[in-house]
Amino acid sequence: MEQVVAMVETGKAEAVIEACKLGDRDAFRLLFERHKDRVYSVALYFFGGDEALAGDVTQQVFLKLFTRISQYQGEAEFTTWLYRLTTNACIDEQRKRRRFLQFGDGDDEGGGAGEIFEHRSMDEALARGELSRSVGQAVATLKPKLRVVMLLKYFEELSYEEIASVLGCSKGTVASRLNRGHKILARKLGHLRGPSVRASER
Amino acid sequence: MFGKHVKRDLSAYAHGELSAEGAERVAAHLGGCAACRAEFEEVKTGIRLVESLPQTKAPDALWEAVEAGLAKEAWRGERSSGRLVRRPLPRLALSWRRAAAFASVLLLAGAGWFYYRSTRPAWEVARIDAAGVGERGSLRVGDWLETDTDERARVEVANIGQVEVGPNTRLRLVETRLTEHRLELRRGTLSARIYAPPRLFFVDTPSAVAADLGCAYTLEVDDAGRGLLHVTSGWVALEAAGRESVVPAGAACLTKPGAGPGTPFFVDAPDELLSALSRLDFEAGGPEALEAALASARPRDTLTLWHLLSRVGEPERARVYERLAAISPPPEGITREQILSLDRDALVAWKDDLEGAWTTESLPGLRRTLRKLLQ
Repeated sequence: MEQVVAMVETGKAEAVIEACKLGDRDAFRLLFERHKDRVYSVALYFFGGDEALAGDVTQQVFLKLFTRISQYQGEAEFTTWLYRLTTNACIDEQRKRRRFLQFGDGDDEGGGAGEIFEHRSMDEALARGELSRSVGQAVATLKPKLRVVMLLKYFEELSYEEIASVLGCSKGTVASRLNRGHKILARKLGHLRGPSVRASER
Repeated sequence: MFGKHVKRDLSAYAHGELSAEGAERVAAHLGGCAACRAEFEEVKTGIRLVESLPQTKAPDALWEAVEAGLAKEAWRGERSSGRLVRRPLPRLALSWRRAAAFASVLLLAGAGWFYYRSTRPAWEVARIDAAGVGERGSLRVGDWLETDTDERARVEVANIGQVEVGPNTRLRLVETRLTEHRLELRRGTLSARIYAPPRLFFVDTPSAVAADLGCAYTLEVDDAGRGLLHVTSGWVALEAAGRESVVPAGAACLTKPGAGPGTPFFVDAPDELLSALSRLDFEAGGPEALEAALASARPRDTLTLWHLLSRVGEPERARVYERLAAISPPPEGITREQILSLDRDALVAWKDDLEGAWTTESLPGLRRTLRKLLQ
């Protein structure tokens, strides 16, 4: 336990990872707590608010992370690897369920999905008003490739270069996918714009 | 039109992912291209929308599910060969003392993460006195920066540009985040050079707000709260009291508390025009001041005339329209009636048409002119 406390204090991610490689369950827990919300958020918005599915995918991501951690030699950023696992898990799950999903199935502009965000734990989001719910729905209707880039940028806060490295594509591809995603959202939801930053309205 | 359209680069520009040269190129192009500006508004809307999505917390039960999965894997690993690191997973001892210690570790880890999320970036400040660069520091949201009579400072505005702060200046950092950076200039002088999307960087003054539209400019505020904005490249919008002035390079604009921004003018405009404007903007000057302004306006001063359209009453507006149309008729499809009724789209369309003649770099000798105006 003292060892783990020391790791937190020095903030050395490498030490935690090394401990994970040795099978230290406390170290697994630490890594899990540190990253679980972000992985879950990406999965939740990827799947249009489906909590059960998001939970499943998050569990899969961490299981894969822990069982393969011995293979991680530190050649790439640890987080790059984590995000790659997350996006692959989302896209794979999407493919498996293709026949069951009514939206986001291969076109940029999916039909208006119904009330996806109906679950209790999204209360927080709902309390923010109609805006978040509609935005979440709209994001879920984007083509998976666009969806994934948007979520990596806004939930994982990665730079273009980092996103390119996670997805194995070029920065230009990242830029053009984000561009398309932004414009589609704006066109679908422009009338629901949030608080304006125009000073004359302050 | 400045070179090729930049629609492809707009998201990268908004995210600060372009090089300084690339960002400058886009900013310059946006200043002169309405089509790309419109597209940029769309991109910014999209960004604001997706940014509004809240982080969600993973359900507490998730760890148990993961742990159960891990236990299964370990058991499987021990039974087959070569699938996992073949070390037994230590069992989590269930003594409450250990659990309590672990809980505090989690608290530390969790708190550290939360702190990281809510920490705002600080802007770097370098104070400069007669001897050169002196003390370096940080400006956080809410902090004030004050310079003495013989002191200047340079402030790095997030990652989007710099602000040079003059002597005897008092300013405060109001906000800094992805879609808005805002300073308050209470008194003194600052010069800003911003490589950023339009309407990302704002300066609040006692009499108006300067919204950067991708540019370089100087802003001075005196002790009475009156301001002078002078733009040296790009565009700046000044807003207050329901009035807006859009100021291109080589032009300037006065602001007064209560009245808001005046009418922008080119710094090389004739004195008669400038004094007539002063009467019109701040002294309720009547038809006589307007006639003086119209008579002294040169072809280039369509900047001033266009702004006057929405600032004068109906009978005077027709006079302004005639003078403006005589210099540069409105484009195809825009009618006199539309302009006289202040139809927004028609006004903007005419402005876009006139802009070609407005954009140029600043001229020498302006300091003297500007000093005169602030008296």
